[in-house]
Amino acid sequence: MSRVRQRGYDFENEYPDNAAGGFHQPSRPVDRDKAESELALNIKKATNTDETAPKQKHVRKCIVYTWDYHSSQSIWSGLRVQPIMSDEVQTYKALIVVHKIIQEGHPITLKEVQQHVGWLDTCSRTVGNFGLGYAPLIQAYVQFIMSKLRFHRHHPEFNGLFEYAEYITLKGVDDPNEGYETVADLMNLQDGIDSFQRLVFMHLRGISNNECRISSLVPLVKESYGIYRFITSMLRAMHRRVDNADEVLQPLVQRYNGQHHQLRKFYYECSNLKYLTSLINVPK
Amino acid sequence: MSNLASKSMRVVKNYAKAKVREATSNDPWGPSGTQMNELAQLTYNQNDFVEIMEMLDKRLNDKGKNWRHVFKSLTLLDYLLHAGSENVVYYFKDNAYIIKTLKEFQHVDDDGRDQGANVRQKAKDISNLLADDMRLRDQRKNRA
Ligand SMILES: CCCCC/C=C/C/C=C/C/C=C\C/C=C\CCCC(=O)O[C@H](COC(=O)CCCCCCCCCCCCCCCCC)COP(=O)(O)O[C@@H]1[C@H](O)[C@H](O)[C@@H](OP(=O)(O)O)[C@H](OP(=O)(O)O)[C@H]1O
Repeated sequence: MSRVRQRGYDFENEYPDNAAGGFHQPSRPVDRDKAESELALNIKKATNTDETAPKQKHVRKCIVYTWDYHSSQSIWSGLRVQPIMSDEVQTYKALIVVHKIIQEGHPITLKEVQQHVGWLDTCSRTVGNFGLGYAPLIQAYVQFIMSKLRFHRHHPEFNGLFEYAEYITLKGVDDPNEGYETVADLMNLQDGIDSFQRLVFMHLRGISNNECRISSLVPLVKESYGIYRFITSMLRAMHRRVDNADEVLQPLVQRYNGQHHQLRKFYYECSNLKYLTSLINVPK
Repeated sequence: MSNLASKSMRVVKNYAKAKVREATSNDPWGPSGTQMNELAQLTYNQNDFVEIMEMLDKRLNDKGKNWRHVFKSLTLLDYLLHAGSENVVYYFKDNAYIIKTLKEFQHVDDDGRDQGANVRQKAKDISNLLADDMRLRDQRKNRA
């Protein structure tokens, strides 16, 4: 199999982060130095002080970077040099960016972010009340991301968006006990999304500029739907496999029904937000 | 003499690249079936393949204002995945994230029209196709 070759490049010395884990050379025609400087610029633009959504093209560049180089460390150094804690909008946008990158970035991203929980913690502590009302949202967002990270630490077989196809190839769901626990953990995370999204909706105001807040719902819609589909398939599979399933699975099924109801409400509310519906297919 | 040789080589060398550029330009029409078919044949040649991938990569990552470059590149890519060399399939399976991350592509033009919708839809379709080996194989076979 042939590939488009990288222009001859010696990055082993220049980028020690990658050299350690066996660096990855993308088959795309890209140049590492250029990628690094563009990355820094994209992080800066994605987390600027404008009270808007972080522009997707800038977020995309960050995500693509992690797949190109199988590394996210430069993203963290890029975030750290920005004055992110000094402005509530910047902090909030940075959290959206981080959330999207751990969802859609190369799997290494989800591992490497675990080294940066301190930074996330600082985000939620540093935020003062600057007047636009982001402080409670920032704290809740950090809390949610932390719980997501804990989940992934315990269940490394899931990817950041809970894509089912990716999971099956990694691991079968054969042990009912393990399955039960996994479903319960997924449900806890789903509850976390639900309470955070409700807080976001509470903070939408008729008068002020809402785009930035609304844009944080995009990764939540995607993630909750991924989790939902996962729980659905797992419960079905377990139902087939477990003896007297109705009884054993009853608590889970009950909880499932409650979450199903909440999700429908969430998606219904999202479907009234033009920004969202123009951008992603909100499930019904 | 060797200079001349390498010069004529260069003309040949940039042919496929120029063809991609032409097929995915900012003109409101195209790419035409003839253009796409020629490019599909060119992917069977190793040098042309490399050039085509390079130009496609550039176009697919173009800025919002050049959304037509992106959209037309996806159209071309869809064609190449069906009728081009197997290497196109390998290359874009390897780099599927380039297409996947276009699912949220946005561009609102000066008249306030959302020009991103077509790109988003096509990115979704191609991502699904790339993830479905069976379907891709069948569709390629039916073409051949
Ligand atoms: C008495 C005398 C009078 C004389 C008058 C004379 C007058 C003289 C006047 C002259 C005017 C002259 C020229 C104007 C020249 C060009 C116009 C620009 C054309 C233009 O639109 O270009 C802009 C770039 O422009 C700038 O970035 C920025 C461009 C800035 C241009 C600034 C021009 C400033 C001019 C200042 C002039 C100053 C003048 C001063 C005069 C002084 C006099 C005393 C758009 O280019 P773009 O790069 O954004 O996008 C292109 C574009 O979309 C193409 O369609 C696309 O190609 P295809 O899709 O393949 O067709 C390209 O894609 P690829 O490259 O990937 O293939 C894109 O890359």
